[in-house]
Amino acid sequence: MFRSFKQLDTILRGDATRMSALREGRIDVPVGGILGVVAGLGVIYGLCIGSFALFRGAEDAMHQLIASAVKLPLLFFLTLLITLPSLYVFNALVGSRLSIVSVLRLLVAMLGVMLAVLASLGPIVVFFSISTTSYPFMQLLNVVMATVAGVLGLAFLLRTLHRLVMVQEIEWSQSAPSVTAEPALATSTSEAAAPAEQSAGEATGAADAPEAALPSEVESPVDRKRDVMRQMHQPPAELRGALESDGLGTDRRARAVFRIWVVVFALIGAQMSWVLRPFIGNPGQPFTWFRAREGNFFLAVADALKNLLGM
Amino acid sequence: MHTWRPEADNLLRGRPVQARHGEARRLLHLLQLLVMFGIVYGLVMGSFGGVAGERLWQPIYSGLKVPLLLLVSFGISLPSFFVLNSLFGLRDDFAQVLHALVAAQAGLTLVLAAVAPFTVVWYLSVGDYNMAILFNAGMFAVATLAGQWMLRRSYRPLILRQPRHRLMLRAWLVIYAFVGIQMGWVLRPFIGSPDAPTRFFRSEAWGNAYVEVGQIVLRAFGGG
Repeated sequence: MFRSFKQLDTILRGDATRMSALREGRIDVPVGGILGVVAGLGVIYGLCIGSFALFRGAEDAMHQLIASAVKLPLLFFLTLLITLPSLYVFNALVGSRLSIVSVLRLLVAMLGVMLAVLASLGPIVVFFSISTTSYPFMQLLNVVMATVAGVLGLAFLLRTLHRLVMVQEIEWSQSAPSVTAEPALATSTSEAAAPAEQSAGEATGAADAPEAALPSEVESPVDRKRDVMRQMHQPPAELRGALESDGLGTDRRARAVFRIWVVVFALIGAQMSWVLRPFIGNPGQPFTWFRAREGNFFLAVADALKNLLGM
Repeated sequence: MHTWRPEADNLLRGRPVQARHGEARRLLHLLQLLVMFGIVYGLVMGSFGGVAGERLWQPIYSGLKVPLLLLVSFGISLPSFFVLNSLFGLRDDFAQVLHALVAAQAGLTLVLAAVAPFTVVWYLSVGDYNMAILFNAGMFAVATLAGQWMLRRSYRPLILRQPRHRLMLRAWLVIYAFVGIQMGWVLRPFIGSPDAPTRFFRSEAWGNAYVEVGQIVLRAFGGG
């Protein structure tokens, strides 16, 4: 267990997803170990949510506590299961060579990030569970916490996917006709370093707000090579067509697909949490494992907001 | 305990503490300062209703509550801030960050203790409970600003080294204020209304600071 925590820590710190680590298009994440930690952290956060029923003296508080502790990890695993095939298919469609195992590892690493953030917010949730009597406030607080964790997790995923695409781009270019590549490399290496660095920074800055907020890679030999590659694909016009059609054009398409997919993931996750409700347990209602099929997540959030404002 | 004066002076001037102390020792010293000065202000704050008989408990409760307010809010906010720093690749600076945060809190109580005599004069000259609340709110605002200023001062080298620290500083303020406001609400009464019996907590439901304030605002605008 301790070893798995250390592995989660390397993911959090970004060591597991550095350019150098991704070079072979592999992500070195031990799926079993991380899933274990994810489940553990999920149980912890589930208990934090369920503690509201306990402190409000609900009748079946213990049941609610157990239900929340079981359902929270389940929520994330089910969302993973539902979104894994589509990410793999779209990923393959835009020409990335990631295997399904790599995609799985990537998603498991993302869950690790999400649950670590969520569990670290647990003490705040417990504190409000103790001191708050308002059920809609707790609903909204949990929505906010899950959103924070979700955004950070998805930003991590996007960043890693983009890096993977870049790494593959470099690999592809290395295997490309070296006759034209060689002189460009030689001339641009010296003066390319500084401006290329700038343009790369601008590119990530404009790409995506949460993604840009996360740390960019420390300048490594691979990065420099990437910058040089970017520079390189400007001059030889006859080569550009070929590049667009089967190599470097993938980059842009892949980014677009990943961004759309991230939105899909967020929607599925939100609706999944609605299907698995109740997590908090309305103190005014008897305990149930699940509630009847009705409404959706977004209507419920709007209702909670209205309730809270007394409208 | 006899070393607190140079320690407090270093804290105020933002001087780096002597290297002969280990990191853990330095944090412990700061926490000692925090508790000590927090108790001082709490004692003064709770003395509004007098200190005779039953009333004696209010200063003692308040003396405990001021450090409690700061330390528990800090403890609750810290885990998420730690994970956030790791995720943004700033783990290696975290020892320094932790020191800056604790120092800012200790500085806050130090300023509070320094303005405690004003509070005494105010209590002696104005007998109105609501005015006492307002005056204390003002003193806390001054101390919070000073703490904030100290935090920015210790964050400056960190931000110079890595601009992402600026974002983290803002994140900390959001998390800490969110928890701290509710904590202040939960730990009422600090001053103790002279008309109400002395208690550690207000027994009528703890409620929620945000919900209460929201309803007050809605009532004010809605006229309901």
